[in-house]
Amino acid sequence: MAFLEVSNITRRFGGLVALNAVSFEVEKGEILGIIGPNGAGKTTLFGVISGFIPPSSGNVVYDGESIIGVSPDRLVRRGLMRSFQIVQSFADMTTLDVVTTAALTRRPMREAIDYAAQALLRVGLGGKEHKTPATLSLQDKKLLELAKCIATDPRCILLDEVMAGLTMAETAAPIAIIEELNKQGVTIVMVEHVMPVIMRLAQRMVVINFGEKIAQGTPDEIIKDQRVVDAYFGDHLDA
Amino acid sequence: MREEFYKTLSSPIWWGTLAIAAIMPFVLSSYYVHILTLALVYVALASSWNIVGGMAGQISLAHSLFIGIGSMFSAALLLKLGINMWLGLVISAVISGILGAVIAWIDFRFQLGHLSFVLITLAFAEMGSIVVEGWDFLGGASGLLLPKDTGNFLAFQFGGGHGAFWMMLGLAAICVLVNVAILNSPLGYYLRTIRDNEKAAQAIGVNILRYKITAMVISAMLASVVGTAYVRYLTFADPYLLISPVITIEIVLFATVGGLGRAYGPALGALLLVPLGEILRGKLGSTLPGLHYFIYGIVVISVILVTPRGLLPLFERLWARWRGPAVAGKS
Repeated sequence: MAFLEVSNITRRFGGLVALNAVSFEVEKGEILGIIGPNGAGKTTLFGVISGFIPPSSGNVVYDGESIIGVSPDRLVRRGLMRSFQIVQSFADMTTLDVVTTAALTRRPMREAIDYAAQALLRVGLGGKEHKTPATLSLQDKKLLELAKCIATDPRCILLDEVMAGLTMAETAAPIAIIEELNKQGVTIVMVEHVMPVIMRLAQRMVVINFGEKIAQGTPDEIIKDQRVVDAYFGDHLDA
Repeated sequence: MREEFYKTLSSPIWWGTLAIAAIMPFVLSSYYVHILTLALVYVALASSWNIVGGMAGQISLAHSLFIGIGSMFSAALLLKLGINMWLGLVISAVISGILGAVIAWIDFRFQLGHLSFVLITLAFAEMGSIVVEGWDFLGGASGLLLPKDTGNFLAFQFGGGHGAFWMMLGLAAICVLVNVAILNSPLGYYLRTIRDNEKAAQAIGVNILRYKITAMVISAMLASVVGTAYVRYLTFADPYLLISPVITIEIVLFATVGGLGRAYGPALGALLLVPLGEILRGKLGSTLPGLHYFIYGIVVISVILVTPRGLLPLFERLWARWRGPAVAGKS
């Protein structure tokens, strides 16, 4: 049985079908990339897996147990962590405070502060412990999302566009962190628009369009897949 | 618990301030001791409200309910059923805690936004005052008169003026210390993340319902205990004072002016505004009725405009500037 099994997930918002019977599996320790055009349903999919959005039907099995109806904070304590595409801000807390809160999921107070400081150092935010997240640059905000993930000691993380808006040079730091986490055994599912990044990181990819899975395979297979090319560039110009 | 809490507990400044405050009754006239006692009541109330309103960012207007239970109900238990007020204090605090938990649960269950939370808690407060005014057991609209305070400690009596001052000083100190303790413990971190961003708090493992309830229960129980102590000091359990939403508005005002969410902010606000209000009323109340409210209002508005986050952050900035830029590193 796979580490994370998404089976037949459907999610409707009123008449709109955001996800239609999407299924895929993630093996322990792999990096799975999810791609698809804007509005394909990727963020909704992450919302369902991470417990924020209840699915209309279907099932998600994580580490051998169904996690439908389990609250996001309990999933975090079971090692399933997500980052947000739109960086979440905390108005009145420092970056250290925010990451400390994340570290508190598994550690007592004093250890949590040290561990949070280490996590910030590890993502390259050392020296910015006492800034508020709102004052950080976009790149640093994305790194903060990663620091929050690291601080909870996750076994599986869902990364929602952690590279979006960064220049190629700026993606180097997050890429290195993700590779390192994966080397330590953390399973990673990432939604990403920056193709060179996801082609390099992902071992397997799933393509979603209009709420349906249209393809899956290795990055090499995916870029040759006609359905994927059509989804991104349109099959006919009159469409 | 973070080191800062133990530092506070062993801080000479903290104990020195308490010691100086404790000798005030020997220095000041009974009029000023009364004003200070009143200020301490509001220090305790604003500090207990701060746990929910400041740290968790939930503007609760239900606190008159908890103060009212602590005061009216414990007074009724004593007068109607002969229940010792110490026991009454505990019973009232437990009831307040349960009510607080119910309100927090309702907030979570129905995903109330900020404004709905304010209105729901206000509705609870109004219901409370209607119940008290309409129920003879609680004294109805005419209130309850407690027996004279003869200083019998076992009967929750502190001997009037000086004794009441020290009791309130102790209670206010406990409420402020609880604030310091919470801000330096995981609960403080959880509440601050909930205040700033509920969804993101949940995404880093914070159980929203559990900590909202925890905050509300602690806050409600403290407010109730202060209510019991306050009614003992007043001797007369006046429903129009003790279970009127107006008392909550005052608390919110003091906490906001002092500095929301900070351990010492609400205390600072109450210590400055209560004496200011009382002294203005004492000096001007008879010459031109209403003028003291006018001046008081202008002071409050000016503070909010100059330093929207309260006086405590303002004083900290001034202090940092005075100490020189070398130590002004922390935001």
